[in-house]
Amino acid sequence: MKALRQNALAIPILIWFGLLVGIPLVYVVVVSFLSRDDLGNIVWQFTLDNYRRILDPVYLRVFVNSFMLAFLTGLVTLLIGYPVAYITSKLDPKRRSLAIGLIILPFWISSLLRTYGWVILLGNWGIINNVLMALGLVDQPLQMMYRFGTTLVGTAYMLIPFMIIAVYNSVDKLDKSLLEASYDLGASKRQTFLRVVLPLTIPGIAGGFTLVFIPALGLYFISDLLGGGQTVFLGNLIHTLVNRGRNRPLAAAFSVGMIVMVILVVSIYSRLTKNQKEGLLL
Amino acid sequence: MTKANRWQTIYLAVFFVILYLPVLSVILYSFNANPSTAKWTGLTLDWYRELFDDLKKHATGEALVVSIQVAVLTAALSAVLGTAAAIVSQSLSERMKKAVQWVMLLPLLVPEVALGVSLLMFFNALRLPFGHLTLVLSHSLFCVPYVYVMVRLRLAEIDREVIESARDLGATRWQAVRTIILPLVMPSIITASLLAIAMSLDDVVISTYMSGPRTTTLPVHIFSMMRVGVTPKVNALCTLILLGTFLIIGLNQVVSMKSKTRGLSN
Amino acid sequence: MKKPLLSLVNLNKYFGDFHVLRDISFDIEKGEFLTLLGPSGCGKTTLLRCISGLESIDSGDILLNGESIKDLAPNRRNVNTVFQNYALFPHLNVYDNICYGPRVKRTLTEEQLKEKVREALDLVQMSGYENRMPHQLSGGQRQRIAIARALINQPDILLLDEPLGALDLRLRKHMQAELLQLQKVTGTTFVYVTHDQDEALNMSDRIVVINQGEVQQLGTPLDIYNNPKNLFVAEFIGDRNILEVDVLEWAEGSAKVGLGSQVVQIGNGRHQLYAGERAVLAVHKDKMRISCTPVPNALVTEALSIHYAGSQIRIELAVVHETEAGRERITVILYQQGDCECRPGDTVWVSWDADGAVLLPLEPGWQGRVLV
Repeated sequence: MKALRQNALAIPILIWFGLLVGIPLVYVVVVSFLSRDDLGNIVWQFTLDNYRRILDPVYLRVFVNSFMLAFLTGLVTLLIGYPVAYITSKLDPKRRSLAIGLIILPFWISSLLRTYGWVILLGNWGIINNVLMALGLVDQPLQMMYRFGTTLVGTAYMLIPFMIIAVYNSVDKLDKSLLEASYDLGASKRQTFLRVVLPLTIPGIAGGFTLVFIPALGLYFISDLLGGGQTVFLGNLIHTLVNRGRNRPLAAAFSVGMIVMVILVVSIYSRLTKNQKEGLLL
Repeated sequence: MTKANRWQTIYLAVFFVILYLPVLSVILYSFNANPSTAKWTGLTLDWYRELFDDLKKHATGEALVVSIQVAVLTAALSAVLGTAAAIVSQSLSERMKKAVQWVMLLPLLVPEVALGVSLLMFFNALRLPFGHLTLVLSHSLFCVPYVYVMVRLRLAEIDREVIESARDLGATRWQAVRTIILPLVMPSIITASLLAIAMSLDDVVISTYMSGPRTTTLPVHIFSMMRVGVTPKVNALCTLILLGTFLIIGLNQVVSMKSKTRGLSN
Repeated sequence: MKKPLLSLVNLNKYFGDFHVLRDISFDIEKGEFLTLLGPSGCGKTTLLRCISGLESIDSGDILLNGESIKDLAPNRRNVNTVFQNYALFPHLNVYDNICYGPRVKRTLTEEQLKEKVREALDLVQMSGYENRMPHQLSGGQRQRIAIARALINQPDILLLDEPLGALDLRLRKHMQAELLQLQKVTGTTFVYVTHDQDEALNMSDRIVVINQGEVQQLGTPLDIYNNPKNLFVAEFIGDRNILEVDVLEWAEGSAKVGLGSQVVQIGNGRHQLYAGERAVLAVHKDKMRISCTPVPNALVTEALSIHYAGSQIRIELAVVHETEAGRERITVILYQQGDCECRPGDTVWVSWDADGAVLLPLEPGWQGRVLV
């Protein structure tokens, strides 16, 4: 009885969000089992066709591409971002604030702008090629655009602030006396890093990876602008199916597939941080 | 500075250079005299002039207006919902707190494409008119979690006894919220609202699905310009948006400065 | 008989499985200064919060002026709290902090408030501080504003939760006197929580000693100090030697006990005991006398060490008898050097006045024995 009174206020909130997020998702799952007619309208006829088509090697490739992109983005942002977070955490307070400000600033800047910048940098007549040719280092422009790597660069660039902040929070919370104890017992800086810092910052790494992986699956405009459609990713595919292919049930099936990937990653994250107190954002 | 430190500083410096290189390139090329995004041929302000013309009559101007309207409405809606959720969260049992947290953070766990497509089908089924309404609803979905988290954090910093003392002195629950809690979390609400405005203005993916026949947001508009591979006018537009962004950030700094001058605890 | 202001009736509270308040029943009289005294974790703060309404109770009742308030929300009870960390509203100045209660309850007009706030600030000796912000005040000053903020509501009861805990010793002593004065002047009933027995003995009209959620004893400071009802109170209040003894004879008003082979006559035998029982003799350390020559009805001891600690002379002694466990240790506190200037190794006779000692039942599981 008391519990009900206490929790009464929470119910409208749960309802609002449950409805707004839950129902569309449920609806998408439902649609993924439906068929369509020639005009592209949804026909309420149960079918497993959409999911069968996913197993088609062509489509399967798309899943693999997206997973690889998201996974590699996580990896790249981790490898580049971890040192940034670590070094920043050891700076003196004033420089640290400045560094953190500079890391977060891009987050506020238009994502289209940040992506388009790479078009200018990497284009055949873009800045990098201009400089290289002017310096005489190459005769012909390097083909850097419209490859898998280009999309990877753009996505990693977009999401690296998330990784850095997640890792930074973890590193910052480290008890400094643990490091001192390690040195006192005879470990070198490298050993201390590998045996003390790294294991203790796993929550940050896991959190950062998750925070990067999920958007990486969905930022299809980056692969659009930088990848030029050479490699097909889930985002592009779904977009095409909805807009031009007029095949919503199939698009729904792919969306469900994407969500399943996310659930897998999030549950791995939960498993890894089961015993830790710090959550993803709180 | 030790040798290790020197390498570290270099690493950091190089990182920041690369981080801002694309942004600077866009700004630089907004002055490129060459009409195609190719070689650099010289300085010009032509694109800015063309842009201002555009703003007055064409789609760009309309898109800008729509974006701003949506952003402001989204920020307002998100601020109210997120703050309410955060404040209510405080007095819930542990299990309910976790449940609410999961529900609030759910939108962030779904990739934007999936979310956009789901909402598209859902709103379609409901026969909702696509335009401002759908844009604001969908934008608030991913803005509310940020408001929620930021207000929750700030609430945690307030001494529990301060809130209890308000009740002890005779305030009803609502009075306590209005006179004590809200003033104290206001800086966080403002920062989160500004963040919401920035995110709403920036959103590409979800807006693509949520726009109506005559309502497009600015990013969607810019995106189509970029795909067509057009003149550096795009660069000029982006640069102007950048200025707007700095304005918002500046505003945010002012707000946080003011809130620092009053302490938070006794 | 006068009706009590507040009655606690069979009050029980649980935190999950933990039974934090067990069947608490007692009355609080109007105008008194009552202290809840006990060690950390005994439930005294929880009890205070139950009275204020910030915690709910699981069974029993709380009656204010005869009416049950147990289901009333904290803002509906005419009871106010002074919190341990003061809890001043950081975004309001002193004036607005003090006005808060009357404003939300709309009990006074702004005109009346001006006058009332001035009075309140006068009362706590903080006149002129209306426009200061809490972060500009020192701990002691915030304390006073917190008190003013509560008193302006003219509550039936003012609850104070270890208000002086965060202050340094000298300030604490000063504030104790001020609080006492305040209580007398306003005539408000104060319920005060502390773990500091000196504070309690100093300031209270009556003390409720609490341990592990149960009321151990309720009485005046003198009562509690001289006539502890059980072993816990005897150990917690005052500084006593506690010795295990055999009861040889017992009658109301006198008893004979044996410590090893020694036999001593006790005057204060209020608790029913039987010959052959093991009991506990509790004697105030500063109510004992020493003599270098034999004295009737005294314990024979051997001096171990003599310390000079400020205003006290502390003498450690060991009772001369053979037990399997060892010799019991006695500490005697003197405030001036008497005839007996003993040295370690000397034989000393220790005696005491009837009202300095009390004989209590031994409780199973007691481990407070001090042996040498």
